Amino acid sequence: MLHRFRVLATFALTLLSVPALAHDMWIEPSTFLPIPGDIVPIRLRVGQKLLGDPIPRDPQLVKDFVIEQGRVRTPVVGRDGGDPAGFVRPTAGLAVVGYQSHPSRVDMDAGKFNQYLADEGLTEVIAERSRQHLTGSGARDLFTRCAKALLYTGAARGTQDRQLGFELELVAEKNPYETNGDVPIRLTYQNRPLAGALVVAINRLRPDDKLTARTDTAGRVRFRFAPGGLWLVKAVHMVAAADRTRADWASYWASLTFQPDSTTNQTH
Amino acid sequence: MSRYQSRLGIGAVVIALTCGTAALRAHEIGTTRVTIAVDDSGAYDVAVITDAAALAEKLETVAGRTPPADSSAARLMDVLTRNQALLRQRLHLTFDDVEVPLALHISVVPATDQLSPPVANIRLTGRTPTAASRLTWRYGWTFASYSLTVRGTTGTGDPVWIDGDETSAAIDLRRIVPRPGHLEVVRRYLTLGFTHILPLGFDHVLFVLGIYLLSREPRAMLWQVSAFTLAHSITLGLAMFGMIAAPPRLVEPMIALSIAYVAIENVFLSRLRPWRVALVFGFGLLHGMGFAGALKELGLPRSQLLTALVSFNLGVEAGQLTVIGLAATLVGWHCRNKTWYRSRVVVPASIAIAVTALYWTVERLAL
Repeated sequence: MLHRFRVLATFALTLLSVPALAHDMWIEPSTFLPIPGDIVPIRLRVGQKLLGDPIPRDPQLVKDFVIEQGRVRTPVVGRDGGDPAGFVRPTAGLAVVGYQSHPSRVDMDAGKFNQYLADEGLTEVIAERSRQHLTGSGARDLFTRCAKALLYTGAARGTQDRQLGFELELVAEKNPYETNGDVPIRLTYQNRPLAGALVVAINRLRPDDKLTARTDTAGRVRFRFAPGGLWLVKAVHMVAAADRTRADWASYWASLTFQPDSTTNQTH
Repeated sequence: MSRYQSRLGIGAVVIALTCGTAALRAHEIGTTRVTIAVDDSGAYDVAVITDAAALAEKLETVAGRTPPADSSAARLMDVLTRNQALLRQRLHLTFDDVEVPLALHISVVPATDQLSPPVANIRLTGRTPTAASRLTWRYGWTFASYSLTVRGTTGTGDPVWIDGDETSAAIDLRRIVPRPGHLEVVRRYLTLGFTHILPLGFDHVLFVLGIYLLSREPRAMLWQVSAFTLAHSITLGLAMFGMIAAPPRLVEPMIALSIAYVAIENVFLSRLRPWRVALVFGFGLLHGMGFAGALKELGLPRSQLLTALVSFNLGVEAGQLTVIGLAATLVGWHCRNKTWYRSRVVVPASIAIAVTALYWTVERLAL
């Protein structure tokens, strides 16, 4: 146990000391297993290895900030500049909270940009830059956040994650709170399955043991999510930026968070 | 406490103000705010305001421990205090490219309601090295962008946005704390000296009144005031140049006691004796150390220490003379030889002063 912590500590130190290139962004409710009708504060967080900083609600960045239950979609309420960024009141079953940002631009030199592409497994972009002899050049990236969280009140069974229509989106094809942890995840880009993309899953209790897989032709990966601890599933997709954007690339950052504990999936 | 909360509360305004630059900003804006204040005495005060739970989580993970599940202010305070050495590793303040060791003071402000997170307030204080011309700042405990505000004697600058772990642009100390002009120093410290007596130094006012009450002839007053002034100028000067030092814990109760002594003696003494002048001189030495303590708190421009010191002393003198002038006008200098002056003015006023001063003595000893 102690040894594991030491490894973890060394790893975390390294993580915190590398120059900030590309950070994950995820949704973190105060609880993933609320009692139906409770008000749940929702925080947005940016960081690495599930160590993150709270991000207040920025009206200039929020494109969508919603909660969908059953077929009803409602906005997540909150005060501009507030942390927590919003509040929801989930009813029975699975509640899908989604946040999609407007794009932000980041300019990087060649070294940083290449490192970022390698870190996020964006092999197609690396190959494309190499073909265009651009590996030695910096780049301007327009990045968009597409984060989702699954909250479960447990009172109604059989409810599922839903496609919110975000640019890049991770969808759990089974309710992670009602399975033995074996959950297929589908990645879509503009609502169509995205094949060959790297999907990574990490757990807050074991951030050094990451699960990785590339999506199949149906845009699907399968992971086994052990109960306990917050799970973050993430994927990044990058395409050439549209002409009038004054950027070279547009990147989309999808994340999906949930936290099944050992009691929620007993019946399966 | 409310000051820090209101700072976080202005997040919305800050975001609104910076929306124009959003497209060029690399990272999302977090809740961290940093203020660097430098005054013309060379003292700096850096305040880092950040989410306490997020910071505790990172520190504990890096230290190889499990992050705390309990996020009460007291628990977070424990975690931050325990990890001070680690915290320090990612705080960097340099003057002319030389990093200075940092004195940390950590506090955690509990949430005012169930919805707001506890806020950590990390303060770093110290003195800028003499003749330093620029400083840089780096904070490596956040992944998000944070605002850095610099406050000097010329005012507060616009916040600049810095990505976590990025080093700030060099801040020109001569621009934010320009060397004040000679006349400006004279004017400022004359005022500070005067206001240190009137209206701020009620204890010194009572001491001067004590001297005034026993002075039926101008000669008596002249002797006492001169002795007092000479004495406090000596100790003020010596203390300011660091040649003598006395703890305020000792000086402040003794100042109060000296006032009581003078007032009590007024009741029993009807005219000035030579040893009274010697005593007033001794008490003046004490009061001078009190003035030095006050002046140190106000801060002195290092470049013009002597000018400031002399101006402050002159301001104190002007304050004392004003007290005597007011007393003479109100009680009436011409009444001093009336038969009832002693029984109706000197004795009751002296008793009132003595009681007040004795109360202060006890109060200051208790602190």
